[in-house]
This record gives sequence, structure tokens and C-alpha cells, in this order.
Amino acid sequence: MSQAQTFEPTTAARPAAHRWRLQVVHRTRFHYTGPVRSSYNEARLTPESSNRQTTLRSKVEIEPVATAYAYRDYWGSTVTAFDLHSPHAELVVTGTSIVEAGPELGGHDRVGWSGLRAREVRQQFGELLSPTPLTAMDDDVVVQARTAVGETHPHEAGPLICRFVRDHMDYLSGSTNVKTNAMQAWTKGQGVCQDISHVTVGLLRALGLPARYVSGYLHPTPGAEIGQPVTGESHAWVEWWDGGWNAFDPTNSVEIGTRHVTLGRGRDYGDVPPFKGLFSGPRSEGHTVTVEVTRLA
Amino acid sequence: MADLFDGYSLGEQWDEMFARAGEPRAAYAGLFASLQPMAGEELAARADVLSQTYRDAGVTFAHAGEEQPFPLDIVPRVIGAEEWAVIERGVAQRVHALEAFLADVYGAGQVFADRVVPRSVVTTSAHFHRQAHGLVPPNGVRVHVSGIDLVRDEAGDFRVLEDNLRSPSGVSYVITNRAAMSQVLPELFADHRIQPVADYPSRLLAALKASAPSNVADPTVVVLTPGVYNSAYFEHALLARQMGVELVEGRDLVCAGNHVSMRTTDGQQRVDVIYRRIDDEFLDPVHFRPDSVIGCAGVLNAARAGRVTIANAVGNGVADDKLLYTWVPDLIRYYLGEEPVLANADTYRLDERDTVEWVLESLDQLVLKPVDGSGGKGIVIGPRADETTLDDLAVKVRARPRDWIAQKPIGLSTCPTLIGGRIAPRHVDLRPFAINDGSTVWVLPGGLTRVALPEGELVVNSSQGGGSKDTWVLSPPRQTAEPEPELTTIEFTAVDLPEDPPAQDPGPLNDTVVGQGQQQQQGAFMAITAAGRVAHVRPEGQLWP
Repeated sequence: MSQAQTFEPTTAARPAAHRWRLQVVHRTRFHYTGPVRSSYNEARLTPESSNRQTTLRSKVEIEPVATAYAYRDYWGSTVTAFDLHSPHAELVVTGTSIVEAGPELGGHDRVGWSGLRAREVRQQFGELLSPTPLTAMDDDVVVQARTAVGETHPHEAGPLICRFVRDHMDYLSGSTNVKTNAMQAWTKGQGVCQDISHVTVGLLRALGLPARYVSGYLHPTPGAEIGQPVTGESHAWVEWWDGGWNAFDPTNSVEIGTRHVTLGRGRDYGDVPPFKGLFSGPRSEGHTVTVEVTRLA
Repeated sequence: MADLFDGYSLGEQWDEMFARAGEPRAAYAGLFASLQPMAGEELAARADVLSQTYRDAGVTFAHAGEEQPFPLDIVPRVIGAEEWAVIERGVAQRVHALEAFLADVYGAGQVFADRVVPRSVVTTSAHFHRQAHGLVPPNGVRVHVSGIDLVRDEAGDFRVLEDNLRSPSGVSYVITNRAAMSQVLPELFADHRIQPVADYPSRLLAALKASAPSNVADPTVVVLTPGVYNSAYFEHALLARQMGVELVEGRDLVCAGNHVSMRTTDGQQRVDVIYRRIDDEFLDPVHFRPDSVIGCAGVLNAARAGRVTIANAVGNGVADDKLLYTWVPDLIRYYLGEEPVLANADTYRLDERDTVEWVLESLDQLVLKPVDGSGGKGIVIGPRADETTLDDLAVKVRARPRDWIAQKPIGLSTCPTLIGGRIAPRHVDLRPFAINDGSTVWVLPGGLTRVALPEGELVVNSSQGGGSKDTWVLSPPRQTAEPEPELTTIEFTAVDLPEDPPAQDPGPLNDTVVGQGQQQQQGAFMAITAAGRVAHVRPEGQLWP
């Protein structure tokens, strides 16, 4: 038995050839060594709707049963908040969404470096230009990145930084954890999408490009078969501003498109964690996360 | 007989009591006349009784980690009615503008779009809590209680030094000072018409109830304290007791399904309004410090869901940030379309390289304040600082100019103060308290006057070892030709009125009430006056007895 929060789509669904319809089932299972008596949680499992992505249906299910409450946070993510007060040894939170995703639509006027340095831009994007503890990069790395970028226009600088980071870092699952910061991952030369994205936004900001961390999902298979569920993962990528927003997946060195489902964005992982909470009771035995993605159309 | 005021030296700064030596200002005439003939020993003896009263009542303040009696000076500060009216208007105006600003910051952000305040001023503030974004309080009020710190400059004008919109403390001393003083110097109270302060708790309770989520018939209000180790615990306890509500700690509250309840001996009881005296960072471990054990998990989302009101609201610190302070006059013009009634102290923002350089060169002539400091901590008064202090300061300012503002030193006004059996001038400031109930901003007549007890000391904060003074706001002169609506609405003819009122008719009570009215509440006084007048009017159709 579970209770669900359902979010109806706000924009009419317009299936198009260059879009995929994807179903994502994101399940987090917590195990405790004994009964937990009290727990307070927030889940960010509802994909956004934007010009490149339409969320057709999304629900968050909680077991054991809980009264959930949803709101939009400062960064625009839909948050499902709930608390539990009956003893439970296991907590399962499942987000199920159907979205249509495609590449970014339309272009924008671009500004040069002097435009980015304008007072108004720095005021407007102040928090996306400042380092956070998870994204701060040491000066010597920033100098290297600046050399890699050279005199190129900001629009080309963005992809160059993504490539620069990917050239120095290997994707290695399990090499880091959620608390690893950008410099630690950089020094290791290894990380997951979260680390590569933290390093990338850190360097983009240090160079003067407003940049944000994006949380979402990726269907692992280009040209995926319709109706075939596959194991996916929570994913992260970056966006930067050069007069308008650009998105790129530095981990896979690909454009954002039909396989990417956006949950939300912020300064770093800490602003858009898929799940966070507090509980009082016996020790946690850890948790397991599964993401299953299916191309529906 | 030695004159108490012999040797009272007037300096460059404004003196609260004296315009010239031996010449008291109008508001102080009565006080001067009463005190002057008194011998120093007598006043000192009464001051001893006063401090004994205080100690017995347990009025303390934690200073340097120790609970100490809060020194109350026996010489009150007096503010005339007209002068107070200006302060009252100015404080209320500021609160209105800051309320509008906070609603904007945590909502649409129009003030940034219109380029009145740079967005980065808010986003770089340590007290900007994105967790509170989009959280709209039930009656719109975020600044239920505020304390606006004022000083009087050399010209005698009140100027705003800072706004306190989070958990301003000190109002308990205003209430206890008045009670203690009226015991020790009853004759002074007989000679003055002083506006009462004792109704603060009932005003606060009314405002808190007015802020309750809708559909609650009789809202339950609690005072949430961090506990007995907090420096203002005395105040938390006093306010809870005087409002007749529970004083709770975080562990007494529980959130479930976005409702907040308190654990009582009768089981759990719903809580509608939390007057919290816990800082934002410790209030809700789900959103802020997860290691905090003094708060209540889930309370922020309960507020967001509209099930409970947190007073003062979470995130108010962005509006009392000292850098934002420099924009408050602009905010008054922007939101209210009015000119500020009270001016700021002359302040410099360290947002341009030229200003920073100039400030760094002039450190020995300026006052430097950390933007998120409280209780006077970290303030450097340039003209009085030694070289090492200034050098250290320069390094800090250069590293993070955003963290500082610079002000021209103000020669704070002085007020006669009993120091070792004699009266001597000491610097004072003033913290009026304002309560916003959603329809009006009420300013407590008086507020807390803090006095720097060491000679020449300019930092008056209680956490820096200052004392306080009872602060009297005199009632406005009674208007004899005041129109009485009760009389104009009731029709009667000459035959209804007897030539002479019968003996049992109480008659106009004005004079007798004034005689004893100085300790009455203003509201009660008005009611008695009206009743006295109305007693002349016979209900229609009845014969006069």
C-alpha cells in the first residue's frame, strides 16, 4: 500500500520525431538494523518541464505510507517532503516519470568576455559565478584551464572546458562518494558524473561563465529499442551562460538530447540531491538505488 | 547641600538632559527638579535598593559566559511626546519597507529587476536562506518583532544604526526596568505622565495570534527557547509567563505530517504559532545544520504547508544585514513612496575599489563594522584603536570587503548617570521595539536605552557589559477641546439634562484620572474618560433618576 503524489503536465504534450518518450523508475531502498521511529525526508524526483523536455506524468511513492507534501524550491525543483512516525525497518521511495525529451530548441544571442564581465551580469548570476565548497578549484588548475581556452569566444570556451576536464579525469564508478569535492576528484584524476560536473562548473565559473550543476537521468543506449527496460543511473551534467543557457554532458562528451531527462539544477549536488533526510533510530544498514529507464516512443 | 549635578560636564555631543549647564531641556524639567535637591547619598541608597530589587527578580544577562545582574541606572531617560512621535513614525516606516523587501526577496524579486538593490547583495548574505524561498506567512508578516537601534547625533537628530529583524532581545529589561523604578522612585512617577510599557506582552500575543494559519479558532502560541544556557533565557521565560503561553524547547515539539504539536502531560497538543528565539541555523535540522539538537525537525515544511507560523520568519537576516542597511532609505522610497523619517548614520559601502582604498587609508578615522556581526562584536572604532588592531583590520577588509561597512563615528549623546555617588554624563543609544500584527506596526513607547558605563565608552551593547536606563516617553499634552464622538452621535434636548448632576453621578473623571493616571494604561484611561462623559447622557425615554 502506498500513497502517491501525482503531478499533471502543465504544457500540452507534442510528440515530435526528434524527441524520445522515456519512462524512468527511480527507487531508493533504505535498510535499518531495527525499527526507525521518526524520519524526515525530501525527494527531488520530479522531472522539470522546459522547452526541450515535457513531463507527461510523474509520481512519488513512499512505503511505508506517509503523507507527502510538494513544493517548488528556490532553484525550481519540485520537492516531495514527508515524515514517518510509525516504526519501520525499511523505507522505499520510488519516483516514476514519463517524459518526452529532445535537444535544446532555438538559439540565443551570445555575449563576449567583456559582456560577461558587465556589472549587471555579475549581479544577476552572482551565485552561479562563485565557488561553493563542492565546486571550488585551486588557482593552478584554473590557470591551466585558462591556457586551454586561450583567446576563444565564451561560446567555444564552454565545450573546451568540458573536454579539458574529461581529458584529465577518468570515469570510474565507486572512486568517490557524495561528499567528495571537486579538487579531491581532480587530484585523484577519477570520479563519477557528479565529480566531473563539479570540476567543470568550478572551472567555468572561475573563468567567468555563470554555470550550474544539472541533476537528471541518462538512457545509456543511443538508438535504444522501444519498450525494452534497461538499467540506467542518476546522472549529472552542466550548463553555462553566454547570453543564453547551453547544456553539455562532460562525462560522456555529448550534447544534451533525447536520452537526457532533467530533474533540476543548482550550484552543486547539494542544491538538487535526489534524496535527503534525517532519521532517529538504529544505525542504517545502507541503501540501494536502482534506476530503470525505458524508451516508450 | 552639595548639588548632585555639580561638576556635570557637557561635551561636544548632545546631552539628553541639558541644553546648557544647569538648564534642563523641557522634557527633563520635572526630573531635574526632583533629583537636584536630593543628596548623592540618598540617590545612591535608592540605587542600592534598585539593584537589590533587580537581583531578587533574577534579571540577568550572560556576559562573557557568566550570568550577571544587568545594571540598571537610577536616572531615567526622558523623551518628549513630540520627539517620540517622530521616532514612532520612523520606526514603523522602516518596518513596513523591510517587510515589503523580505516578501520581495523570498518571492518575485521585483526589487532586483528594477535595479534598486543589486541581487548579489542578497545572494552573498550569510542569512539569505534559499530554504525559505516561496514560503508565504499566513498574514504576510515576517517581522513580528523588531528592534531598530537608534543613536542621537551631535545635532540632536536620531539616526538609525542598525535594524534587528531576527530575534531582537532586550524588551524584558524595558518591562522590568519600569516595574523596579516605580518602586524605588514613586514620587517621580506621580509627577510625570509616562506612557506605559506593561502592555507589550499582550500586544505581542495579539500579533502572534493574528499571524496564525487560517481556520484556527483559538490559536496555540508557544515561545521556543534554546534553553537555560542562552543569554536571553530570562527574557524568553518572562515573555512566555506574561503572555500566558508555554515556554518550550525543541525536544518538546514534534512535527508529523506537517503539523506541529507539543508534548504535554495531557498528551500532544497542536501548536499554531511558534515565537522562536532560536537562530535559523539551528531551527530545523532537515534544512539547516543536521547536527542541531535544539531545534525541531520538519518545522520549516510545516510552515511552508501553512500549518504553523514561525515568528519571526526564517531568513529575515538578509534585511538586517549591515550592507543591505545602506539601501534602506532607497527601499523606503521604492516600496512606500515616502522620504525616510529617520536618517541612517553616514555609511560607506566597500563595493568599489576606490572606496575600499579610501577606507583603508582612513581606518583611524572610521568605525568598521562586520556586516553580519551582532552584539557589537568585531566593531573597530578607528580613532580609538591601536596600530596592531588597525593593521589586522586592514588585512581582513582587503581580503573580504563584502564583510564590512564603514561609518563616520557619531558622537553618541550623553545622559546623566549615577556613577559612584555622583551624576556624570555617559553615552547612550536606544532600541525601540516594534510589533507588526499585520494591520499596524505598533512601537512600544520607550524601548531599551543602553548606557556605556565606562567613561567615554561608545559601545553600549549589553553583551559588551553596558547597563540600561528606564526610558520614559511622556504622554502628549491633553487636548481640552478634543471632539467626543459619543456626544455627537447621541441626540438629546435641553430638558433631558438636569440643572445639576445628582450626587451619585460620577461626573467628568478627567482631573482625578490624570492625577493617578501615570501608572494606568492609556487604553483604560481613555475608557474611563468616555464613560464619565457619557454618564451625562440619559438613555432615550427614561427619566433622570
